[in-house]
Amino acid sequence: MIAYLQRTLASRLKHGRSLTLLAVLGVALGVASVFSIQLLNRNSLAAFSGSVQSLSGDADLSVTGRTPTLPETFYPKVLATAGVSEAWPIYRIDVAVEGHPGLFLEVAGLDLFAAGRLPLVSGDGAGDGNAHGTDALAAFLYRPGWVAVSPALAEEMGWSVGDTVTVSSGSRLADLHIGALVDFRRHTPLAPRKLAVMDIAQAQSLLGRRGELHQVDLKIDKGRDLEEMRRLLTAALGPAVQVLTPEQREQNAAGLLSAFRLNLTALSLISLFVGVFLVYGSVRATLVRRRAEFGLIRSLGGTRSQVLALILGEAGALGLLGAIIGVPLGWLAARLNMGLVSGTLTNIYLLEEIERLRVPADLVVLALLIGVGGALAGALQPSLDMARKDTRTLLSAFTLHQRADRLAPRMAFTALAVGVAALAFYGFYGRTVRWGGFSLGLMILVAFPLLTPLIIRLVCRPIRVRRLGLAYSARNLLLRLGTSSVAVAALGIAVCMLVGVTLLIGSFRATLETWIAGYVRADIYVSTKSWTRAGREAFLTPGLVEELTTLPGVRSSALLRRFPVMSGERKIMLSGISFDLENSDYILPLKSGDSREALRRVRDEDATIITEPLALKTGLGPGDTLTITGPDGEVHFTIAGVSRDYSTESGMAYFSMQTVDRFFGPGQVNSVGLYLKKGLAPDEAADGLRARYEQLPLEVRSSRDIRDGVLQLFDQTFAVTRLLQVMALLTAACGIALSLLVQARERISELALYRCLGAGRGQIFRLFLGEGLAAGLLGTLLGAAGGVLLALILIYVINPAYFGWTIQPHWPWPALLRQAAGIMAAALAASVYPALRGSRTPARELSREDL
Amino acid sequence: MRRRYTSVLIILLLLSASSNAGDWAPVTPAGRQWSFPADHRSHPEYKTEWWYLTGQLEAADDPGRRFGYQFTFFRVGLLPERPNLDSLWAAGGLIMGHASITDAANGKHWFSEVLWRDSPLFGGFGGASGAEIATCMGPAGTSAWWSLDAEGDGFRIRMEDRRQEMALELLVTAEKPMVFQGPGGVSRKGENPGAASYYYSFTRMATRGAISSGGASLEVNGASWMDREFFSSELTGSQTGWDWFSIQLEDGRELMLYQLRNSDGTPAFGRGTMIPAQGDPVYLEMSKDWELKATGNWESPETGISYPSGWELIMDDQGGPGTLRLTIAPIIPNQENVSRRSGLAYWEGAVTVHPAGADPGSPPVGRGYAELTGYGENNRPPV
Amino acid sequence: MTAPALQFDAVSKIYPREGGGGRTALKEISLEVAAGSVAAVVGRSGSGKSTLLNLAAGIDLPTGGRVILEGRDLAGLSEKERTLIRRKSVGLIFQFFHLLPHLTVEDNVALPEWIAGQTSTAALPRIRELLERVGLADRSGDPVQQLSGGEMQRVAICRALVRRPRLLLADEPTGSLDDENSRQVMDLLLALAREEGSTLIFVTHSRELAGLADEVRQLKSGVLVPP
Repeated sequence: MIAYLQRTLASRLKHGRSLTLLAVLGVALGVASVFSIQLLNRNSLAAFSGSVQSLSGDADLSVTGRTPTLPETFYPKVLATAGVSEAWPIYRIDVAVEGHPGLFLEVAGLDLFAAGRLPLVSGDGAGDGNAHGTDALAAFLYRPGWVAVSPALAEEMGWSVGDTVTVSSGSRLADLHIGALVDFRRHTPLAPRKLAVMDIAQAQSLLGRRGELHQVDLKIDKGRDLEEMRRLLTAALGPAVQVLTPEQREQNAAGLLSAFRLNLTALSLISLFVGVFLVYGSVRATLVRRRAEFGLIRSLGGTRSQVLALILGEAGALGLLGAIIGVPLGWLAARLNMGLVSGTLTNIYLLEEIERLRVPADLVVLALLIGVGGALAGALQPSLDMARKDTRTLLSAFTLHQRADRLAPRMAFTALAVGVAALAFYGFYGRTVRWGGFSLGLMILVAFPLLTPLIIRLVCRPIRVRRLGLAYSARNLLLRLGTSSVAVAALGIAVCMLVGVTLLIGSFRATLETWIAGYVRADIYVSTKSWTRAGREAFLTPGLVEELTTLPGVRSSALLRRFPVMSGERKIMLSGISFDLENSDYILPLKSGDSREALRRVRDEDATIITEPLALKTGLGPGDTLTITGPDGEVHFTIAGVSRDYSTESGMAYFSMQTVDRFFGPGQVNSVGLYLKKGLAPDEAADGLRARYEQLPLEVRSSRDIRDGVLQLFDQTFAVTRLLQVMALLTAACGIALSLLVQARERISELALYRCLGAGRGQIFRLFLGEGLAAGLLGTLLGAAGGVLLALILIYVINPAYFGWTIQPHWPWPALLRQAAGIMAAALAASVYPALRGSRTPARELSREDL
Repeated sequence: MRRRYTSVLIILLLLSASSNAGDWAPVTPAGRQWSFPADHRSHPEYKTEWWYLTGQLEAADDPGRRFGYQFTFFRVGLLPERPNLDSLWAAGGLIMGHASITDAANGKHWFSEVLWRDSPLFGGFGGASGAEIATCMGPAGTSAWWSLDAEGDGFRIRMEDRRQEMALELLVTAEKPMVFQGPGGVSRKGENPGAASYYYSFTRMATRGAISSGGASLEVNGASWMDREFFSSELTGSQTGWDWFSIQLEDGRELMLYQLRNSDGTPAFGRGTMIPAQGDPVYLEMSKDWELKATGNWESPETGISYPSGWELIMDDQGGPGTLRLTIAPIIPNQENVSRRSGLAYWEGAVTVHPAGADPGSPPVGRGYAELTGYGENNRPPV
Repeated sequence: MTAPALQFDAVSKIYPREGGGGRTALKEISLEVAAGSVAAVVGRSGSGKSTLLNLAAGIDLPTGGRVILEGRDLAGLSEKERTLIRRKSVGLIFQFFHLLPHLTVEDNVALPEWIAGQTSTAALPRIRELLERVGLADRSGDPVQQLSGGEMQRVAICRALVRRPRLLLADEPTGSLDDENSRQVMDLLLALAREEGSTLIFVTHSRELAGLADEVRQLKSGVLVPP
């Protein structure tokens, strides 16, 4: 049988070229989608792990603050704890490189005297530095701005030892002195390329703050239990810090990204689903034609399982081929979209950017398995069907299409049952299981294909044919219902995703635009280059803030100080705002209630306004208490209101600046909003400010710049979904081509008859295009209906569960119509080749068989 | 391997920092204006300084149970001035502490060390007044700090290492007046007049307190020797290390000897001091006044370094009749200190002194400490 | 004398074979069929009857000689021109009827009109007339699958006649029917051809049926011989 498989496989590839090619392409596209998304997911985590490992790879535990930094006095405390064998401090800060917009260095301030304990700057590294003179090593202490960077970065930037590089952290500028080139990756392969290592004293003094650390890493004595040590340290150090293993920190990052990753994965699986559908269609089509072949095999003594194995074997080979093509395709897609995803990571999740795309071997294996598995899954039903038939049936003529026709109501009923089951599941578990909403989405994906045959029947049967036109083509969909419903369903799913995601994004964007219009009230915002990117620590010096807020044209101002804190086990952003309630129209748009009154309570009563995602995730509302871990333990605040807020998914709490200073210690401002006096144009004033502070690394933006920037960021975040939409659509177009190709083969006699009756090639060509168009139209309509449902599920079910934003439904008609036109164009384009094939059918092909 | 990296780094650091030696105060052959007790405190204008206590102790309730101990604070200057950085981590130097205990009865030797930036975060060298002379955080895992305080006419030392269950808390009180180790307190380290240190000692100090080494705390009594040295130079030319001896003889005299060795192991330069029971010290020159011969070797199982072990000392018996011939023997062979922080290994151990040819089992005529540095590869002391 | 409806002038048809050479299906056949007449071609299977019809309909081209339909040499025409001539002037009837199973009786008859760009509505009177003529007026809305063999061939005859072709070509029109049905269908075909004024050429293996024609030709191994 294997020998037979080998021979037939080769001849199948040769003769059923286009059909097989399409199925392979379908699998390839599906695998590529999944592979590219998993690749991006994995690498986005690897970027964080790399950073963790390069600094803490050697550590058993890391101590971090619950506010971004912890007082450095914790370092001696950690060291004094019994069972700690070594500990080293880390000060981390991202700085913007002046003159290179968009380039940030990840500065790690380490205790270079203890550098031997760090994997980063061990003796080899010191050797590298030594090549430039022994002075280089002592210089790290006294030469201001001494940093070590990797030779790769130095080469890329054209830096060499002795050069000076100006960087900014907040509104502060500092000159870094390239003191040594150290190949960090020799010790930690995942070390970020843009890592710069300097002595902790320099990092605190030049770029950060005296007295603060970001992290203390430690090793414990051999023979000590790690978990017990973690508890011991947690108890010894108090509530202001948390003690985690590097693995736990990576898990936290994974948790942070889980919603983002899950959504992309779900979308990519849809592409795969469409691909599997194609395999199903293609296997069915080939099996119909090879009915007699299997009858012969059976009559020669082949068993059912041999027939089954034969068909599945072919399908598996097809899937493998598809996966082999899909893996590099997926890599390419991931490579092209890496920048976008990387931007999302740094902008929204404050994680490290992806610098290189690494391809883990297990992912490749997974992709191959998915390809083969998907093909087998697609082939299973038709091949079981074929194997089940007895020899006589196989050898006698029969029409599969009638079967599909007969099965249509039953399939529709199954769809209904799936729908009811999904709704029931959601009804029972929707509130407790976070992914409950996905069951509804899945329902749509399963139910729609099942409904397709019946819908095609309902739509096409009443069509009255009066001429050889579109109606005739549409009626023809009915003839090969089995094949055509696969194509229509595949397209329907792709369109469903396209429309669903387009609606979601369009609604989200419209909601965001409305929100910005309400939220961005100041005329000009001043922050710093390093803040706009990293959102970490980038401060405006107090003198500068004073100067800005007292400029002649400024009517009033609002100051913002923002940093992450822990509320229970949840990391949230804390925003301190100082505003002039009477003289500015500073306002936080509330979900309900009086904004001005809530702001008054924030100002006067230490109350807080929390954002919608936080309210949804914690179940807290106005009047409840929000508990935050401060430097001295837990602090409780009354919630004065819940604001619409789209600035961070992790949830945020607004306080008055005085409250923040009192409970979390004084600190510096990240951003200043300026309200101009009447008659001053914000854009001009912004230009004026830019010119005035040309020497400082400030980011001066008018309200319009902010609006544009936010929307740009939004578009960038969702751009990667476009990749998936295109993939699914391409796959679906393959489906249409496949279905029509099948028709071109199966209907040779019919086409020959048309030719005998005087039909020209052009007519047959148009007949096929018409069928493609009809399938496209049906698929689009079906998909649009499903897409609207999917969008509603995304907006009202999945979004609240994972993000927690109110999204006002919005119909982006131009985009939808553009997409519809695109789908039609794709359907037509997919029909061209089959139409050509069909139109070339000669009249003499009219065989003696029945039509 | 890690240790090796550290050592390379630190050595390079220390060596390279010394390229700024010109900015440090030099030791002048004419000596300095001494002022006590102020000069017991740190002299940050000099690059290197130490407070070096060694001694032999016996258990208070079991005089037969004998111990040796060493306790040292080093001030390692890296920069003449603290860098102008707004950070507590900005330091002009380091504070380093070494401590060891030798238990003669069970043949064991403990060593503990600390190395921190000279910063208020971790410790430092006290000001011009107050009890504190030097203090710093203990080693990782230990909450207690190490310290050297002035107390009455003497000093109190404290150290603890929880991981090794090792601790010292001793009060040392001078039994004899302070002695300059060289005319005017200037101790020559080579032919070059600049190669010198300021060096004075308390050669006999009554010692009381408690020690623990791998177990419960033990009340002890005994005698200590305290060296004070500060300078800005380093080993010159081909010098690779030194052998140093402090010996308290039963007859009330004390002897201090050191010889700096060439890389080939031959003595390059040596000086000594004989302190009579009463009266002024006599300064001695190597070869001219004394000669030291190693009689045995001991190879460290940990570092593989081979140290001399056991000596014969022949010297002019200053103030005594004729020639003094003494054999010096370690109380146990393994008294090596392997410093992982600095990457250096040296031998610092308690010794007994017998007349030449006497039965080694007979009561010794003197006790003391020996220090052997610069043996093995890459082990040249940075000073 | 009127011009012949169809003229074969030394027509040969050689099907190429793999590996060179060829199989001769027709060998220098010359033939004229007068307009309005009925001609039968008799021959065993493999004698070249179907090839002859294919050449006559312009479905295939001869390898030698000329096939002249309505005064034009088909070999000199493009594929498209031949298709248009077929659409306008030729009606084809097949042994296996070749009705489209998914269409109704009426729609099957309407198919040539659709192909010609007409709508059912415009052609409806003609279709009704033909169906009435063959006795299937009451079945016009039925799916063709429900018809008997004889009925199917009658529908096929209507389809062939719906565009009033000048030339009717029938390939074993009763080959799939029993004797009684054969006779009825054949009678109907001849009657209709005469009523419509179409030239009819049919091939058959039955000498009895051939006898119904105005003239009979016999094909033997690709060569015309006297009957």
